[in-house]
Amino acid sequence: MRVKYVLSEVLVGLWRNVTMTIAMIITMAVSLTMLGASGLMYRQVDDMKDLYYKNIQVSIFLDQEVSPEQRDALAAQLEGDPLVKESIYVNKDEAYKRFQEMFQDAPDLLSAVKADSLPESFRLTLNDPEQYKSIYDQYKDTEGVDEIVDQSRLLDKIFDILTAIQNIALAAAIVMAVAALLLVANTIQVAAYSKRREVAVMKLVGASNWFIQAPFVLEAVVAGLVGSLLGLVALIAAKYLLFDGSLQALQGLLSPVSWGDILFMFPLMAGAGALVSAVTAWVTLRFYLRV
Amino acid sequence: MTKTYPKASRPSLDNVSVSIEKGEFVFFIGPSGSGKSTIIKLLLHEVSPNKGRVVVNSKDVTSMRSWKRPHFRRSIGCVFQDFRLLPNRTAYENVAFALEVIGKTKAVARRVVPEVLELVGLGGKEHRYPHELSGGEQQRVAVARAFVNRPLILLADEPTGNLDPDTSIEIMRLLDRINRTGTTVVMVTHDSNIVNQMRRRVIEIESGRIVRDQARGVYG
Repeated sequence: MRVKYVLSEVLVGLWRNVTMTIAMIITMAVSLTMLGASGLMYRQVDDMKDLYYKNIQVSIFLDQEVSPEQRDALAAQLEGDPLVKESIYVNKDEAYKRFQEMFQDAPDLLSAVKADSLPESFRLTLNDPEQYKSIYDQYKDTEGVDEIVDQSRLLDKIFDILTAIQNIALAAAIVMAVAALLLVANTIQVAAYSKRREVAVMKLVGASNWFIQAPFVLEAVVAGLVGSLLGLVALIAAKYLLFDGSLQALQGLLSPVSWGDILFMFPLMAGAGALVSAVTAWVTLRFYLRV
Repeated sequence: MTKTYPKASRPSLDNVSVSIEKGEFVFFIGPSGSGKSTIIKLLLHEVSPNKGRVVVNSKDVTSMRSWKRPHFRRSIGCVFQDFRLLPNRTAYENVAFALEVIGKTKAVARRVVPEVLELVGLGGKEHRYPHELSGGEQQRVAVARAFVNRPLILLADEPTGNLDPDTSIEIMRLLDRINRTGTTVVMVTHDSNIVNQMRRRVIEIESGRIVRDQARGVYG
């Protein structure tokens, strides 16, 4: 019976102040969507790092006039290097073949480059991709080496961008969370004011503190949970419209966001939404009701 | 005990010592600002004394933790000058509300509330809203609400302050009847008429001190 009373009070409370309730839910939803998005990106970036760094290669390009002896010496040296997992020699013909494959859509470029003009190279797979620097230091002055290119340099830039986007989403989540928090505090104050007579009587006749506070706190928690549900819907919509829609072209580059990932985010969002609302409401009541 | 409010130049109650027996009917009288309402607040544990102790139902209220206060208040009924009824609830609902918020079931309310409304003389007016009742009737609802939980003590802070003399006397008869059930009644008032008619114990307070404590007293 008490549970029924509290629940009906919660619904009446949310309905009485419906504009504020909606505002509270919307800000909460936006904030939690941002939180969920940044959480997804965090997992995403981790996945992608695993995927890319595993396949990353360092290329050692050789001088045009490299002698066969220099080349063989380098090959032997690379073979014996503990940092190198695998080393593949690519001669001029193969280099040209790869080039042709890569730029098959650009015949102008293809015709401008002669088979002879592409350098020979060694493609290295490292045991630890982070060790690029020592490879670079070790071989940059070796006879016959023209240039050492590390793909991870390029990847780092991509990951920097992804991390920046993730941080922006997180910052937006926090800013919106502050707005949501203030709205919750305000809503609770208004609710407490509109029920001040009831609260005064309840205090007078000795209703327990939790019984007085529970409807207010639950009001905020319900708003937080509804907000997190809307946030989930927003994330699902984002997957449909962005990842499976307009960003499909990047499908090969970005590792796919699974439904599981999105569902995994929901408990986090719901938990954060409910907890923040409950604590804010409770603290507001401590100041405002002094029960 | 002594109670000084913050920012007050002199204590509201200064070294006051009173003992009220179970089942007594006591008037606290005195001019405005003499400290009589502070007594009610101390008994309700709404404020704490700066010095001394407040003991209610052989429980030391002074050292009581605030989370125990709700339960303590269930043994005290309260009536005020301004009735403090919920305007959007009927007489029945106002009384039932007091039961339901302390965890009594609706079934208990259905049994007890009509009884107590009958007792205060509101039989047949259960479903009127406060604005449909006269001042005296509203105060009866308030008394019913205070008494429905069968408290050991009934505190009344100028319960007749807003009522005309005839209605006041009816309310006093009601309080007297409640007192006869064994409930201690503590009433703060400056209604000389009533005090003189009732002839009960009178404690007069002036500037925070007891200047008179008289059994079967008059307003003086």
